[in-house]
Amino acid sequence: MSFWDYVTSRWDLLLFETYQHASMVFQCVLLATVIGLAVAVATYRTSWLANLATGTASVIFTIPSFAMFGLMIPVFGLGVVPSVVALTLYALLPIIRNCIVGLSGVDPAMVDAARGMGMSRAMVLARVELPLAWPVILTGVRVSTMLTMGVAAIAAYVSGPGLGDEIFSGLARLGGANALNAALAGTLGIILLALLFDAAYILIGRLTTSRGLRV
Amino acid sequence: MTSAQAAVEVATDVAPSPSATGRAWHLLITPAIIVVAGVALVIGVNAADPNVSERRSLEAPFVLKLLGQHLNLTAVSTVIVLAVAIPLGVMLTRKGARLAAPAVLGVANIGQGAPAIGVIVILAVVLPTVAPFWVAILALSVYSVLPALRNTMVGLQQVDPALVEAGRGIGMSAMRTLLRVELPLATPIMLAGIRTTLVLNVGVAALASFIGAGGLGEMISAGVKLQQNIVLITGSVLIALLALSIDWLGALAERYLRPKGV
Repeated sequence: MSFWDYVTSRWDLLLFETYQHASMVFQCVLLATVIGLAVAVATYRTSWLANLATGTASVIFTIPSFAMFGLMIPVFGLGVVPSVVALTLYALLPIIRNCIVGLSGVDPAMVDAARGMGMSRAMVLARVELPLAWPVILTGVRVSTMLTMGVAAIAAYVSGPGLGDEIFSGLARLGGANALNAALAGTLGIILLALLFDAAYILIGRLTTSRGLRV
Repeated sequence: MTSAQAAVEVATDVAPSPSATGRAWHLLITPAIIVVAGVALVIGVNAADPNVSERRSLEAPFVLKLLGQHLNLTAVSTVIVLAVAIPLGVMLTRKGARLAAPAVLGVANIGQGAPAIGVIVILAVVLPTVAPFWVAILALSVYSVLPALRNTMVGLQQVDPALVEAGRGIGMSAMRTLLRVELPLATPIMLAGIRTTLVLNVGVAALASFIGAGGLGEMISAGVKLQQNIVLITGSVLIALLALSIDWLGALAERYLRPKGV
């Protein structure tokens, strides 16, 4: 069976797995962005706290994905929960790091000016600091999405959702018919998703970057 | 993407880490974590009282054999990656090839999204007659050559062109400028790249057990298959500690191997 026949004969299943993969990555990155932003906002003004946050995230990030998923099994069993927890932990580092770098890179004179105009701390954060740091933060989210996309393939090993299922079924059929087709379908599907997400981030960057920052 | 954004992406992605440039005691944090986690693992395993078959999978000679395979996979693939990525990175940043550089960097960025397990399985299917060890080595090399290449290129690109000009101006040949000016100035970022490659390879080598190439990943697969949580946890923790140790050695190298004055 040619690769094309394989894809057309399983179009519905592949589409479903692709959707699951995209949705899992999107939700994990979204969760990581919320957590990462909260951590960054809480720590960026104190340098040792910021270092602690970045350091902890980078230790987590250094743990190889397979080991991370392995450690989730005794705690959460198999399925969606261990996949989401492991992926979210992974996605944290680039986001926390870029949020802290972005927020602490804002010109202090701008913050002073905003305070001088009578803005409260929260308002300065929402109206001045976050918009100025946004391009850097978005880059972190984008890097994190790319990394999560590939790591998410291993979720299938803990019975999680997504295109990793295709790759592992190719592995299970090693030497048999369709082994290559399944592995190719999974891998190429994930790369395609990564490309689509990357394009989406460029668009989001255009639309959400404050007008004064656009070059 | 604006150039400022690109700079930030690069800076936060491949810049030398704080442990490489910060205070010396920062370097002691990772070993402390490793020792504590290692001791906790030993105590935990003993307290869990493994049964006979679990004990067999946890015997020191067996674990050491897997560790040896894991290190072997990591070391061989890293050497291959560096032997390919550094000369290629140098070539792609020369004047004649500058047009190709953005394309290569773009592919390298997307390549991060490719699943390592997919690369391994595809190569195992395509090369059924090749020994699993070499299939794994090939997969590891293919997977991590792009980030290593990217770091070499970024390292060389951020060298101030005025310094290259100055080198040429005092009568150095292009080769001498490369060896005496560009490469030393690019060393910190390149060392950071080597460290990333090593850590990446330790992680991907954990997947080599899926195609029968051994390594500590075998403990995880066996633990899952036989529902032996102790074996599963020991394997996972050992891989994590191995990655942290190698990352720490990389940080040491970044700190002490950088040319003086950079």
